Amino acid sequence: MGAFLNYLKLNVTPGEAGNYLWATIYILVIFVLVSIAVMLMTWLERKILAHMQVRLGPMRVGPHGLLQPIADAVKLMLKEDIIPTEADTVVFWFAPVAVMMTAFTTYLVVPFGRTHAVTDMNIGILFMLGVSSLGVLGIIMAGWASNSHYPLLGSLRSSAQMVSYEIAMGLAIVSAIMMTSMGTGTGTLSMIGIVESQLQQGRWFVFSMFPLGFVAFVIFAIAMVAETNRAPFDLPEAESELVAGFHTEYSGFRWSLFFLGEYTSMIAVSSVAVTLWLGGWLRPFPNTLKGNTWDLAFSMVPALTFLLLAAWTLFSAVRMPKIPQMRIQRIGMALFGLFLAAIGLLFAIPAVAARVQDIFWFSAKVSAFMYLYIWYRATFPRYRFDQLMKVGWKVLLPISLGVVILVALVGIWPDVTNSVMGVLR
Amino acid sequence: MSLAPILRKVFLVDLIKGLNVTFRYQDPKEIVTEQYPLERPQIAERYRGQPRLNVNPDTGETLCIACGLCAMACPEQLITVTSERNPVTKRKELVSFSYDTSRCMFCGLCEDSCASDALELTQDYESALYGREGMVLDRPRLERGPEPTVYPK
Repeated sequence: MGAFLNYLKLNVTPGEAGNYLWATIYILVIFVLVSIAVMLMTWLERKILAHMQVRLGPMRVGPHGLLQPIADAVKLMLKEDIIPTEADTVVFWFAPVAVMMTAFTTYLVVPFGRTHAVTDMNIGILFMLGVSSLGVLGIIMAGWASNSHYPLLGSLRSSAQMVSYEIAMGLAIVSAIMMTSMGTGTGTLSMIGIVESQLQQGRWFVFSMFPLGFVAFVIFAIAMVAETNRAPFDLPEAESELVAGFHTEYSGFRWSLFFLGEYTSMIAVSSVAVTLWLGGWLRPFPNTLKGNTWDLAFSMVPALTFLLLAAWTLFSAVRMPKIPQMRIQRIGMALFGLFLAAIGLLFAIPAVAARVQDIFWFSAKVSAFMYLYIWYRATFPRYRFDQLMKVGWKVLLPISLGVVILVALVGIWPDVTNSVMGVLR
Repeated sequence: MSLAPILRKVFLVDLIKGLNVTFRYQDPKEIVTEQYPLERPQIAERYRGQPRLNVNPDTGETLCIACGLCAMACPEQLITVTSERNPVTKRKELVSFSYDTSRCMFCGLCEDSCASDALELTQDYESALYGREGMVLDRPRLERGPEPTVYPK
């Protein structure tokens, strides 16, 4: 207990503190929470997508299909695990593991808060990019090992797509990293450092050097959809053209690993966007709404959100039709509401709120991105492959190059004017 | 070349319009799905479904006068009406009525030809069965009419 309290007073990430026990605990907690987030995301995706298409979505498993992810998971576990006879067994076996492992490894450097990251790597963003690019390898392995046309085509498309969008994405990231050096003259690649420089500069990088920061952000937001093979860039798994793309031959548990990997990398890439441009764990409006009152008000937001969710859940539990068949569902819903209320009350304790609000704001921003992913999927038709390449190479790449050059120019402009003035003087 | 289309492209106006449409349709009020066994759809008024032989609601006697017009009108000849003359009243009385829905195409000619509005094709659409056994409807079944399962909501 004493060690625990001492650790809480340290105010650094476990990696920086050199505390292996806490680092391991963080890794496990992140693994579990991200898996839960993925399950929640599948439910939300089906639900929101359905509502956007004026359908109902899952309704039968649990109240409003809330238990659908569990039912899906059970189904996938129990499904027969098929390995095609002609497949390259070892590679076939390893591909989904590679995809999932790379997706989860990126979370080592994701800063959920100042102290809530496994470690603060000084090359954090580079590590993130490198590891998430390794995911393509898993996809290519899957396509090759399946020994079948459609998976191969899907994985080739995927690799071509990722290679072409990685460049625009990298350049957009470079422009954000250059912004970290504004004022101080020394930039940083560390994810925590990037957020802290936004804190020092007093604004998120989306609003920096308007409109350059915003353009870079938009480029990243487009490229990250292409990176994660989501609609409208879901050519590698285009069901109307390629059956299911690279995971055509996969079933059951292996398929669910691909699925998990895809959603995990979606969350990972969104958290990069949040860290670089949207101020990571910083709360909104730090400049206009400042002072102790506003700090207190914003620190209450997590608790209030959970209490509101709990109230809504309890209200719907009361509103359910009063028939014996629905009794278990009602009880379940009410218990879930009470659980949410308990979390809300826990967050209302000032000491807890102070530590939790970082995570809350970070996850709120990331979930906004998750919503965007679903929204895009419901709205946009799929690109043709040549259009995809055109957008990547002829539109995003030149714009991001231009943004990088302009950011550099704007960044060094004060120095240039100073030195010119000095020479003139 | 005018500037407007270029600006539309640059600011992704069309994409944002599309996003707006999907966003507005999220409203749960827009949902058109019906949860079938719980919610029953509104059937068209003139829909021709499972047959029924109407009875007088006051007396419980059949309205059928056993004239056999329906049997004659039926293009599939799937209706059989048997009757016998009542020696007292000297009127034809219905003995049995059978209606084979397995061959019926629900054309409604029997219903149109009925002289006493006794035979009626109701709005019940749940006529699927696991076999052909239950498809020949006899008189008591026809008089009871279709009995759709009611699911608690």
